[in-house]
Amino acid sequence: MTTSVLLPSFDRLVELVPGERAVAVRNVPGTLPVFATHFPRHPVLPGVLLLESMTALAKAAAGDGGSWRLRAVRGVRFKHFVGPGDQVEITVDVTGRGERLTELRAVAKAGGRVVATARTLALEPVRDPWEGTA
Amino acid sequence: MRFHLIDRIESWTPHRHIAARKVTSVDEDLWQPVGAGPVLPFGLALEALCQSATWLVMLSTDHRLRAALLAVHEATAHREIVPGDVLRMDATVESMNDEAALVDGTVTVDGETVLEARGILCALVANERLDDPADTARMAHQLQGGGPVR
Repeated sequence: MTTSVLLPSFDRLVELVPGERAVAVRNVPGTLPVFATHFPRHPVLPGVLLLESMTALAKAAAGDGGSWRLRAVRGVRFKHFVGPGDQVEITVDVTGRGERLTELRAVAKAGGRVVATARTLALEPVRDPWEGTA
Repeated sequence: MRFHLIDRIESWTPHRHIAARKVTSVDEDLWQPVGAGPVLPFGLALEALCQSATWLVMLSTDHRLRAALLAVHEATAHREIVPGDVLRMDATVESMNDEAALVDGTVTVDGETVLEARGILCALVANERLDDPADTARMAHQLQGGGPVR
């Protein structure tokens, strides 16, 4: 079994301008299996799963068919817990395009307040070999 | 899925360093299909490193505190992690008090760095708010190679 049931990424694409920006919504139902262990006494969506949702949306916004890998992140901040019942709106904007890397910033909001931000998500095409540093 | 991304604690020095490992298997439900086949998502490799750090916090505080992720200054992946890889996480505390810890670390496979992170900032929170202390103690025993708890 090599399917990813842990990482639904996002549930609804609200806006997509390939090469520029995208907005999507990820719902956080209490049925998610991750809550059994994170944490038994206080369910919290792991911040890295929000980061993965940002990344999935960033790949869509970066264009070129979405065939990208996340090479690096910089300036990631988690400001508030996200838990069962939250609806998270994620916005990503392309901030730069280099020879190999495309960079985006991301903001996640729940209930109108910012819950997480990423100053830079650096994507590179999957076709590129793993060489050098980001 | 159990969101436990380390299988064994190999060594630790209180308030300073921990080495832990995770074996990966195609039977796990955490893979993403990318390019030629399934790979471990970046965020889960980072989480394995963060969970190593939180175990160092728990072991160093007699299970009183655990870490909640607040920020990551920078993290970089150097190659894909694929089914069958054995991950070794090394996390080093740069600073720590009763409220927060700042950690750097790497994930390696067969000695090759596959992910490195700097400036992992964690808030330290009372462990009993998040988990049953008895369950934490059992898990700590298991991760350190202990047999069945009597």
